[in-house]
Amino acid sequence: MNVLRLALRTLRREWHLVELRTLAASLVLAVVALGVVATLSTRIERGVLASAAELIGGDMGISAPSALPAPLVDAARQRGLSSTRGATFPSVAFVDQRSQLVDVLASDASYPLRGTLEIRGIDGQDRVAHAPPPGEVYLDHRAMVGLGIQPGQTVQLGGRDLKVTAELIRLPDGGELFALAPRAMMSLDDANAAGLLATGSRARHRLLVAGTLAEVADWRRFVETQSLPQGAELITPEQTQERMRTAFDRASSFLRLTALLSALLAGVAIALAASRYARRKTNEVALLRALGTPRRRVAALLIATLAALALPAAAIGVVISLALAQGAWYFASQMFAGVPTTLPLSPAFASAAVGLAVLAGFALPPLVRLAEVPPVAVFRDSVSRSVRRFDALYLVPLVVALALVWLQADSAKLAGILAVSLTGVAVVAAGLSALLLWIARRVAPGAHPALRLGLAALARRRGLSLIQATALSLGLCALLLLAVIAPALLDGWRRELPADTPNWFALNLQDDQRADFEHRLAGLGANKLNMLPLAVGKLTAINDKPIAQLTFKDERAKDWSDRQLRLSWSGDLPPSNVLVGGQWSGERPAQAEVSIDTTWRDMFGLKIGDRMRFVIGEGEVEARVASVRQVDWSSFRVNFFLLLDPAHAADLPHTWLASFYLPRGHADDLARLSRDYGNLSLVDVDALLDRVREIVDRVGSAVRWVLGFSLLAGALVLAAALAASAQERRHEAALLRTLGARRGQLRAAAACEFALLGLVAGLTAALGATGAGIWLGNAIFHIEGFVPPLWPLIGAAALAAFVVMAIGLFGTRKVLRTSPMELLRE
Amino acid sequence: MSDSSRVLLEVVDVSKSVSGPEGRLDILSGVNLAVAKGESFAIVGASGSGKTTLLGLIAGLDTPTTGSIRLDGEALEKMDEEARAAVRRRLVGFVFQSFHLLPALTAEENVMLPLELEGNDDARDRAREALESVGLGARRRHYPAQLSGGEQQRVALARAFVHRPRVLFADEPTGNLDQHTGEHVGDLLFELNRVHATTLILVTHDPHLAGRCTRSAALHDGRLGVVA
Repeated sequence: MNVLRLALRTLRREWHLVELRTLAASLVLAVVALGVVATLSTRIERGVLASAAELIGGDMGISAPSALPAPLVDAARQRGLSSTRGATFPSVAFVDQRSQLVDVLASDASYPLRGTLEIRGIDGQDRVAHAPPPGEVYLDHRAMVGLGIQPGQTVQLGGRDLKVTAELIRLPDGGELFALAPRAMMSLDDANAAGLLATGSRARHRLLVAGTLAEVADWRRFVETQSLPQGAELITPEQTQERMRTAFDRASSFLRLTALLSALLAGVAIALAASRYARRKTNEVALLRALGTPRRRVAALLIATLAALALPAAAIGVVISLALAQGAWYFASQMFAGVPTTLPLSPAFASAAVGLAVLAGFALPPLVRLAEVPPVAVFRDSVSRSVRRFDALYLVPLVVALALVWLQADSAKLAGILAVSLTGVAVVAAGLSALLLWIARRVAPGAHPALRLGLAALARRRGLSLIQATALSLGLCALLLLAVIAPALLDGWRRELPADTPNWFALNLQDDQRADFEHRLAGLGANKLNMLPLAVGKLTAINDKPIAQLTFKDERAKDWSDRQLRLSWSGDLPPSNVLVGGQWSGERPAQAEVSIDTTWRDMFGLKIGDRMRFVIGEGEVEARVASVRQVDWSSFRVNFFLLLDPAHAADLPHTWLASFYLPRGHADDLARLSRDYGNLSLVDVDALLDRVREIVDRVGSAVRWVLGFSLLAGALVLAAALAASAQERRHEAALLRTLGARRGQLRAAAACEFALLGLVAGLTAALGATGAGIWLGNAIFHIEGFVPPLWPLIGAAALAAFVVMAIGLFGTRKVLRTSPMELLRE
Repeated sequence: MSDSSRVLLEVVDVSKSVSGPEGRLDILSGVNLAVAKGESFAIVGASGSGKTTLLGLIAGLDTPTTGSIRLDGEALEKMDEEARAAVRRRLVGFVFQSFHLLPALTAEENVMLPLELEGNDDARDRAREALESVGLGARRRHYPAQLSGGEQQRVALARAFVHRPRVLFADEPTGNLDQHTGEHVGDLLFELNRVHATTLILVTHDPHLAGRCTRSAALHDGRLGVVA
């Protein structure tokens, strides 16, 4: 008979065995836990990305300083993607004698593909629109104030007369906080016809595409094989803004961590069930060997039996996880209203593969060991059963777990932290459990009978108690980590966007207007006012070498050296800036000094002591690079690449830039104030802040959902792990009942046993989670000074003891009712 | 057995029926039996004759369908499981055919079990004494898997006697042992029974072992035959 048929027959015969069913259930659970988390995570990540796509106007794009090759558009069309072409460039708009520098976005009528372009028409009504048709232009409030016009009037741009048909309110422009110049939007055809995009112009061309995930990914692969114009860059939702990127990084780290810990929990249950099954099979294998079955065939039979069980179980797991993920999405999707996503299938199948790998890693070692049972074991059980209390075999699953951590974490750092933490937890758990058992032996004689029996029960299964306490500690540690990290993560994000984050910027404020402006703002209830000088200039030389003669490896350097730069000065190191090199200049250094940000240091290859020359207005300043700063560009503060010292910069031609928080509902008052200062440009960033808050909230919802499922998976796996020892307990309960034990005595003993087990596991897990939480919070999530809350952790440890006791009692309630007659019938 | 103060076990018209796939199955019917204190009594019978069921009933592990069972004056059939457990804890010791030692416990820990259930403080010392009495003092730290069948049954004997029960129920105590070892265990059983003045009720299909008891009765198709 071939091995497969024999395996199927064995499986059919043994299906009633609790261990086999537990094994199958654990695998299903593992796949479901992994599958639901992975599917939901993938989908939520897609949802988050899709919502970020709203910020750039498409799912992906490419930008370049010269016209983009036609094949890129053709390739998008062939893949069924919708596309839009456009260009951004600076230009000057004229109305009569007045002129205004504007940042122009010229685009075809398809723009935007994602997100919304909001305008206020001539009728004063707000509406959602696409790019203007030829002959029309949209201007933002600043441009209209600068040019002194109203919607309906005409401006000249690129030599063409264009009618201002709307005020530009919001456009998916990548979430840039504010542009230096006011914004204008015109038709691409007009821009082309006016020659604004001709060779030599400072236009940046761009192509945006939108479609399904697969189509976009396929197009991206195509683009990456093409030779692109120099300076071309991919535009992806993740790259749109530093803040977004930080949020995505944290979210994806967290989601990966969550899925990974669920997998480890499942592994614990599988290991317990598999070793129990192996113990059960020992006599049968000894018999097979005694009857002349070769060892290899026994091993093949065992593996085939396991495979015959595992494959259908994994398939069931896939189906359940897809159904659950779909169900969960039904509720979660309300957070992602209007973001269409399809149910991704691959994560569930990948989870089945990981589940099978976990099964192989955790179940095969004891089964392979089982095949080594010698034929003589039929005569003497002791030959096959090791009397060692701890079997080195349990190290194999540990190795598999570490490999899994490595593979799933997708980050060596994360994997390392987790591996070390979890190993540490395992060692501490084993040590604590051993200590508890040692104490148990000493306090048992004088303890309460129930406690003594509970302690005796733990001591009776010393090896199993150690393994269970360790496994539970790991599981609980995982859960506590999630409980500790998740709220801190959300709080961290929230703290970065407090409710009174500056929501208005005022540009172009003159020296003599400062005091009055400040006074009037205070009258409107504004606070968090921060004023910074702003000078516009150009970099002309580094270390006396004219910039035109210098070559830089980084292409961005060339770009920046052509641009108008924004410089400021300050006596104090601004908040959200960290000094990483040199010394802060302070108020009055002996010679002019400049502090540069790390981006500039890297782009231009600058070092402390280098000299930079700037032309600002009609003046010139040469400053020594005195310090290098790491700037947190994701903060909603005004930051500068270049900061001069106040003593040498104060006389340079400059205006003031003010940021402040104005409670909502005061916009009209501010508009009145704005009219009194003709030169002033006001920028409202409330809308952008709302977007960012919304996206952070979405990510937060995603984390909460995934956390919920992981906790559920953890609890289920915990129950499965406890069920694995039920058979032994049954026999033991029958014997104890025969010897006269009361049911209450057994129940109290079991309660003590599980509570002690839970307490050891809870305490170890709390210690482990504290350590790993501090480490992860600082190293991975970059939450400064992260300290896990102590009392919740202690409470969680106590709760763990209670929950383990409750699950233990629930799981053993049938066992405790075992009739003593069963013993005579065995 | 008219003197009730000398009777330890009295079984009156006991029957036990179970419902099976083919309807009601009578395992025992009209069983009457009385065993005096200090007596050794054997119940013999072929496999399937109902020996184990009868042992379960008289040891208070199960309840009869009809009839009454008095153990040391207490009516077992009127008690719930908890009350019967209390009677077992106080009065009864057990020896099983397949020993039923807990594999994760040492010999000493196995013997301690009945004392632990009583909440005895000197469980360890008494367990050691009991093991000494069966000649296994030196092997008290061994696990069952490290002991031979005969040794395991001697540990089971130590466990059965350690809490000084009034009655010892033995279910095929030598059934899993070779003749020589079986005889040795049998000797020990009767010796301990004598020393502790325990009543012994033995279920066996071994006529030789049954013959060592002061009285015996045969079960056939659920009915107890001649008491010899």
